[in-house]
Amino acid sequence: MNDNREAFLNAIAEKSGRPRHQLQDHPFQPLNDLPETTLAGKSPAELLALAKQNSEAVHVTFLTSAQADLPAALSAYLANQQPKTLLLPTDERLAQYGLSDWVKQVTPTPQYWVPGASREDNLNAAATADVAIGCADMLLAESGTITVATTPGQGRAFHFLPTHYLALVPASRIVPRSRQAMDYYDAELKAGRLTTSNINFITGPSNSGDIEMVLVVGVHGPLDMTYLVVTDA
Amino acid sequence: MAIAYSDKPFKVRLAESEQDTFMQKAVAKAQDAQWTKRTASRNELGHWEQWRELGQQIRQHVVRYLPDYLEEFADNAEKRGAHVYFARTDKEAAAYIRELAERKHVQHVVKSKSMVTTEIDLDQELLKIPGLSLLETDLAEFILQEDDWDEPTHIVFPTLHKNRDQIHEIFAKIGYKGDNDPQHMARFAREYLRASFLKADMGITGCNFAVADTGMVNLVTNEGNGDLTMAIPPTQVVVMGMERLVPSLKEAEVLDNMLARSAVGQKLTSYCSFSSVAATGESDGPTEYHIVIVDNGRMNALGGPFEEVLQCIRCGACLNVCPVYRHIGGHGYGSIYPGPIGAVLSPVLRGYKQFGDLPFASSLCGACTETCPVKIPLHSLLIKHREVMMNELHMDTGLNKVTYKALGLATGTPAIFHMGISVDHSMTALLSHHQEPTAQNYFMGDGIMSKLPFILGGWTVIRDMPRPPRAKDNFRSWFKQHKQLQEAGR
Repeated sequence: MNDNREAFLNAIAEKSGRPRHQLQDHPFQPLNDLPETTLAGKSPAELLALAKQNSEAVHVTFLTSAQADLPAALSAYLANQQPKTLLLPTDERLAQYGLSDWVKQVTPTPQYWVPGASREDNLNAAATADVAIGCADMLLAESGTITVATTPGQGRAFHFLPTHYLALVPASRIVPRSRQAMDYYDAELKAGRLTTSNINFITGPSNSGDIEMVLVVGVHGPLDMTYLVVTDA
Repeated sequence: MAIAYSDKPFKVRLAESEQDTFMQKAVAKAQDAQWTKRTASRNELGHWEQWRELGQQIRQHVVRYLPDYLEEFADNAEKRGAHVYFARTDKEAAAYIRELAERKHVQHVVKSKSMVTTEIDLDQELLKIPGLSLLETDLAEFILQEDDWDEPTHIVFPTLHKNRDQIHEIFAKIGYKGDNDPQHMARFAREYLRASFLKADMGITGCNFAVADTGMVNLVTNEGNGDLTMAIPPTQVVVMGMERLVPSLKEAEVLDNMLARSAVGQKLTSYCSFSSVAATGESDGPTEYHIVIVDNGRMNALGGPFEEVLQCIRCGACLNVCPVYRHIGGHGYGSIYPGPIGAVLSPVLRGYKQFGDLPFASSLCGACTETCPVKIPLHSLLIKHREVMMNELHMDTGLNKVTYKALGLATGTPAIFHMGISVDHSMTALLSHHQEPTAQNYFMGDGIMSKLPFILGGWTVIRDMPRPPRAKDNFRSWFKQHKQLQEAGR
């Protein structure tokens, strides 16, 4: 704690005419439940359709595949992109998707974001990756957003430095909107089950309207994004 | 660049802005485009008024219990390994960061767009360090930096006043050889800045919301530069205004949705991130993390008539609906915070001697208040500024005061008022002249006045005043006659 903290906080209390340490008796209670009730009650099929519509609206290529067909779907994606370098996470979800054999034989030979490797090595792998295939935690139907929490095997820059990016996401983790995702992360963090330092909500490829308000897709982050929803996962 | 970036008098800035026809067209185009996008995204969400009430409630609750939320946030951020510094002034904040950069022997700084770092003039403070390189990485801020630190004109679209040819010229100076296509120029900036990101040893960001109960910092961007700034450099500095708190991730989620819709008409921005010090086992993200919480005049708003200005979430929607901003652009205001919010906030931060003109840069139409996602009564606060300023600076004891007193007497005394409206037509004969009727002046058949004396002169500097109609044709006479006819059943 630095010396000026108390003086600063006391000055606020004095200026506002309100004493400190009143919050515990007046915790925030939202006056409505719109964040929870908006888009509530949709069926899984409706959520998938909504996710597709809203993802495509933010320039995402939206694909679906059954888990059994996933290796073929990913190989087709790579055949189209023709990457010289491929980055994968060190993430047990790849095995859960049944991709253990596919990653051993895929071309180009993947580089990995490796837990315990140096900052330089992992950043270099991401910066030189033509394509990254990442594991997303959730997909938000309302906005076409994937969510990812940083892990030792899938770092922050994994999602930002590669040129092209594909996110794998299970259909069972499509939720109506950001509130459900936030409820999940909030509960996981507070229960100590999630120890991440960083959570990203990513809605399509990077973009800018800074030059004459003309939409430019692909600025600092990936130039394009693909979401591949695994329909039976 | 501090809060005020121009020493020129307000009227000189206005005159210059009036000459800038490209800027005026660009602002008009941007306002119209944003109107459509913003309205559509709010309508799609539904129940917008109730969302506004929730947004207002969150922000008012935070401001009410501000020291408690700051304490909670600082405790939780420190538990995660962050260093939290409270700065009362811009100079204190900038000096802290400069000393940190010197202590760490920082050579390459990358920054993502942040109004508060502009407010504390951080770039210039850091560039005093010999050999240090600093790059703004937001595309617009990068353009301004490469144009010899040109002034921003909008809090969300800082380069609104520049066209593609001007940007092409700026980029040509740093090696760009392509055409003026925005896509091509953006790709050039990507390549140019990528190298800087990879060698950066300090990253500096702003903060959209600091989350009290997790100690995390929420940043929303579209380009991805903010997240690279938070991922690559081992040292990161977050600079935030002292009011930018939310109780938990849930309230951040509410405000992020409202911010994206209000600022750019998106449901969420491309990147919406919540971050802190790199956790054990993670190989990127900052291992040294400093959060600088800045007062710099914000406390002036506490406990007084302007406290609601601290609810602001910096969406810029009020700029995008303001007819005055449409006419004079950001540079007319001379503050890094232009538009209605700037006209309220700038005098709070720096006083009336510097920004006393700004509360008058308003038509009081109320469009800003109506669009504000957190229900700041902006036009009422502008009126309040005028009142407080008159009292504080003991202004207007001369002719204007006499004129206002006379007007007050005339309009407050029925006999004088009725006499006035019975003779106003003939009394204004010498001041009036007639024009050929057009669609624009069709209802001004009694003539127009192009130059009026005293306080009324301000009106006729930029528009004509219709000559009052004859007493028998004025509204009161018409209404009286209409009422009689109505009562007679005709």
